[in-house]
Amino acid sequence: MTLSRAKAIFIWGTVISAAIFLYLSYDSLVQMPKRTQEEKLDSHVVAGKWVWQKYNCNDCHTILGIGGYYAPDVTKVMSTRDGEWVTRFLKDPEKVWPNARKMPNLHLQDQEVADVVAFLTWVNGINTNNWPPKPLVATAVTSGSPGETVYKAQGCSACHLLNGVGGKVGPDLSRVGGKRDKAWIEAQLKNPKSHNPNSIMPSFSRLSQKDIDDLADYLAGLR
Amino acid sequence: MKYESQKIAMNYFMIAAVLFGLQIVFGLITGAKYVWDFDPLINILPFNTSRAIHINLLVVWLLFGFMGGTYYIVPEEAQTEIYSKKLANFQLVLFALIGVTAIVGYLLGWTWGMPFLEQPTVLKFGIVIVALIFLFNIFMTMMKTKKWTVIQGVLLGGLVMLAGMFLFGIFFMKNLADQYFWWWWVIHLWVEGAWELVTGAIMAFMLMKLTGVDRELVEKWLYVEVGLVLFTGIVGTGHHYYWIGTPNYWLWWGGIFSAFEPLPILFMVIDTLRVVRERKTEIPNRVALSWAVGCAVMHFFGAGVWGFAHTLPQINQWTHGTQVTASHGHFAFFGAYAMLNLTMFYFAMPQLRGLTTFNQSLGVKSFWFMCSFMGLIALSLGIAGIVQAYFQRVLGMDYLTTQEYMKLWYAVFWVSAWGFAAGVVMFLMDFYRLARARS
Repeated sequence: MTLSRAKAIFIWGTVISAAIFLYLSYDSLVQMPKRTQEEKLDSHVVAGKWVWQKYNCNDCHTILGIGGYYAPDVTKVMSTRDGEWVTRFLKDPEKVWPNARKMPNLHLQDQEVADVVAFLTWVNGINTNNWPPKPLVATAVTSGSPGETVYKAQGCSACHLLNGVGGKVGPDLSRVGGKRDKAWIEAQLKNPKSHNPNSIMPSFSRLSQKDIDDLADYLAGLR
Repeated sequence: MKYESQKIAMNYFMIAAVLFGLQIVFGLITGAKYVWDFDPLINILPFNTSRAIHINLLVVWLLFGFMGGTYYIVPEEAQTEIYSKKLANFQLVLFALIGVTAIVGYLLGWTWGMPFLEQPTVLKFGIVIVALIFLFNIFMTMMKTKKWTVIQGVLLGGLVMLAGMFLFGIFFMKNLADQYFWWWWVIHLWVEGAWELVTGAIMAFMLMKLTGVDRELVEKWLYVEVGLVLFTGIVGTGHHYYWIGTPNYWLWWGGIFSAFEPLPILFMVIDTLRVVRERKTEIPNRVALSWAVGCAVMHFFGAGVWGFAHTLPQINQWTHGTQVTASHGHFAFFGAYAMLNLTMFYFAMPQLRGLTTFNQSLGVKSFWFMCSFMGLIALSLGIAGIVQAYFQRVLGMDYLTTQEYMKLWYAVFWVSAWGFAAGVVMFLMDFYRLARARS
């Protein structure tokens, strides 16, 4: 090979690849407002994005799968948690999630918390080509009962084990239905101190009656 | 060393070496947080801050190394002194001050909050000024004699691209997906574009000088290699556009082009080995030679093989955002860029100090320590990542429960990191000794 042919490889390789890349980039930028639901991107979302950056959340958490690997990815967090849970968590992470690795309390203002929730809610709506993918196995074995959804959304596994998954702050719930009936579980959810005055479990009386019903049904069925 | 102004490189190398050491200190602290749940530093130096410092120090010490390398090479290529020594020294002080401000700022919570680009905007403008001074100085030096060698051309092209791409990471965007779209223009087009040009040119220069092989041969291959790097790497940016809100045709474009990215790196390995075999002079500097050959090999495995392993969307959908990426990141940055700088230090330092021979035993030892323990770091983080992808993504186990199952591999990773740190300490001792040596 001659030097001039090598030079041609360099120039044409670069030019062709850059041309393809620039064209596709242009096309992507045209499509992205729709794919990211930009019409829902209001001033709260923008403020929330800045809170996200200001506290450098991204060097612990990944978002869109990018960032630090120390804490859960938050791209689709609003699909499994509600705004109320996230708010409670951000106000005092350790209280809501006492087990294992900790997030520092950032002492966020109420407005900052609300903005982050708006931001994460908007991010949840981004079309990510179905990432993260649905688990292959869990979808097959879970019951899909409404109570199970509440269990996950409220983050009960932060403290309780269920079939080997979860924390060890509270008792193992894998077979709780064999020991406690539905009424007992309902009372426990509404007022944990009713059974044990020293219980550190937070009350879930703020849940709707239907959610409590579903959750108690689900747990009472675990034998 | 033929030109007095090549000595400018020395101060750049010294700062780079110190920052490299500091990077490892913050790496060990960051890594410990994975091994133990209890973090005594959570309110002083939480994970996000120590990670930000760890990765910023990486980028900054590598840049100091590239700049020093450029100041060393350009006088010999252009056959003239550097245009302005004063500017070069001013640039060094300004860049160092910005670096120190950024790190102190992170400790006090002053951040812009995008990974790698955490520097607050005002500091980013400072970095742009540093880059402009640097480019001006280099360009004016080259213009003095206008000897446009391929090595000089590729080096200058790479530096211009490096500075230009940084501009895409400066501005705040309302839309996170847009922000990340442009963020990759900095991050990806640096490491799989501009930096490859810079390091390709530096490596070509060193191989030519070390082995005495003809310039034409070296420059011909440099063209082919960087041509293929850019051909596969530019559209290869698409492997970062699979899941961030960008259209799904990137799964094809990114997947196919990035699958070929290891090819030019393989050429570099073959090329390096051939040049060394066909050398026309003895190579007394065994340490520099070890780093040069090691760099080609580790570049291929870290960036090429480890990158290829999870670049196809069918696999990447499971591994994206897991420790598999951290494994690849450590291995690739070390193999492609840290080792290139270490080669440069050992190539240039004896000449800058006017040494014809020097004791090489500690240098060789540190080479083997760093390379083997980096291999273990990549392996343990890689296994942790596979465990994570399987439990969390395939089985649907929650994030923190999965982390419990990864603990063993975090421990192996952290112990390996201490082994790596031992290699770095040996290097720093050796570097200090060389820097003070007299001919």
